[in-house]
Amino acid sequence: MAVYKKTYRPYEGELTSSWSRFLVIPRYAFADLRSSRFLSLFFIGSFIYPLICALIIYVQHNASALGLLGVQGARNLISINVTFFMNLLGWQSMLALFLAAFVGPGQISPDLANNALSLYLARPFSRVEYVLGKMSVLVVLMSLMTWVPGLLCFGLQGYLEGWQWVRDNARLAFGTFVSAWIWILILALLALALSAWVKWKPAAGGLMFGVFFVAAAFGAVINGVQRTRWGHLFNISHLIGSVWVQLFEGSNKTTSGAVFFRVTAGEELPLWCCWIALGVLCLICLYMLARKIRGAEVVR
Amino acid sequence: MSPLWLRQIGAVLRLELKKTFFSKRGWWIYCLAIGPVVITLLHWLFELRRPGDHHHTLGEDSMIFAGLFLFFYLRATIFFGCMGIFSNLFRGEMLEKTLHYYFLTPMRRELLVAGKYLAGLAVALTLFVGSTAAAFLTLSRHFGPAWSDYLYHGPGLSQLGSYMLVAALGCVGYGAVFLMCGLLFRNPLIPAAVVFVWENLNPFLPDLLKKISIIFYLKSLCPVEVPVPPPFSVMVVESDPTPMWIAVPGLLAVAAILLIYSAISARQTEINYGE
Repeated sequence: MAVYKKTYRPYEGELTSSWSRFLVIPRYAFADLRSSRFLSLFFIGSFIYPLICALIIYVQHNASALGLLGVQGARNLISINVTFFMNLLGWQSMLALFLAAFVGPGQISPDLANNALSLYLARPFSRVEYVLGKMSVLVVLMSLMTWVPGLLCFGLQGYLEGWQWVRDNARLAFGTFVSAWIWILILALLALALSAWVKWKPAAGGLMFGVFFVAAAFGAVINGVQRTRWGHLFNISHLIGSVWVQLFEGSNKTTSGAVFFRVTAGEELPLWCCWIALGVLCLICLYMLARKIRGAEVVR
Repeated sequence: MSPLWLRQIGAVLRLELKKTFFSKRGWWIYCLAIGPVVITLLHWLFELRRPGDHHHTLGEDSMIFAGLFLFFYLRATIFFGCMGIFSNLFRGEMLEKTLHYYFLTPMRRELLVAGKYLAGLAVALTLFVGSTAAAFLTLSRHFGPAWSDYLYHGPGLSQLGSYMLVAALGCVGYGAVFLMCGLLFRNPLIPAAVVFVWENLNPFLPDLLKKISIIFYLKSLCPVEVPVPPPFSVMVVESDPTPMWIAVPGLLAVAAILLIYSAISARQTEINYGE
């Protein structure tokens, strides 16, 4: 065919329905992630703790297993209560932070570094869908690590203990689900925002840790030097811990948060401050994303 | 006339100092170094406004600084700062696609490693040792003559010297670790995360494993001991601190071994920017 005959012809095939277009991104992203042996091993390794928890629940309800192990008194040693589920969530959430630090920075930065964003946005694909698509990669992985094993353990305990236990402890399931989603949302937004602003993946991953650990240490410095407790506003784990305690226990607090997300006794911040601080963090991340995710870029 | 190898190291050092000191990417490292100084400065200024009405003593401030130094400087600022500075020395050049300029010069790779390390070290020492000294000197300044007395006639100066020494050794040790990570790994974050977890687990490790870390030797040199806060305190494994005459040369020797290994690895390094 002569070149002059090659005029523009719009795509005439079937379009993907608009609501599911964002799922195109995770489809390819998951294929990429599967090729990383380190990530696959890390992801599989992250299920060890929930597996141990499930085993504990099973053994606690199995008199013959307890007899076989010679630990008949173990039933009273570990209680399947709010602390048990909060620690499960805390441990898994810390692993989710590591996963987000490894996976998150590789989501947006390659597209920006290679000027590929315009290729996405030139298609019937909005900026929001792009962000949702990138976010869904992290959300799916972190969900599988956090609330899914939490609820499975809850389900196992409920199955073995009976319907009455489920009804009495429904708040644990609610707490696990909502708390995990709050953490996932914050991590996903933070990872994407840093990925959009820091083009070097390891640096963006390092900054993830920095925001979490260094900001917490900075808050502790403020608390120590100024003899205050408001430094905890910089400490994401403290803020998350406070919110989790409320979600798991309501006003009848019996714990001081989860492992890695502990609330120091006597240094609690008002709950509304914690919610506002987390909200502000999310808004900052969204603003950072909105600034960078654009179809055209002015290069000075 | 100085020998050729010294002039070559000097040339790399000059080039790298410019790049490392005025790097746009390194703004957060300056923030890390300045952060605690700003807080101690504010503390000093606030306390100056209410003379004779201090809610704490000089001894308490000394403990506060010990905690600040251990938990903020050693575990966060110096660790992450050195990670940013040293792992960027080679990996940054790979990203900028400029490393081959160095590799094409008639210079031994070992000298390049040495020059880059010295440049990173100069920046890290200036920032973190300077920040440590500034924070120490401003934290309790509002005590006035009592502070001067503590500094010049009490243990103040010796404590300051110890903290500065520990900060410097931290830069030397972590610098060597992260230079090696930047040279050997495409993604230095993974080894850095492993080192971070290992260093933070240190108080809970058995005696023998404790010694395979940098923080253990640095903690041994700190003038004021800081207990691990509850609830983790129950898991702490107590061990005797290493004497200074072992800790200082030991850390320097570990750094030297890591640097020698990095230099040997650099000799075989090939560049493929396309990867």
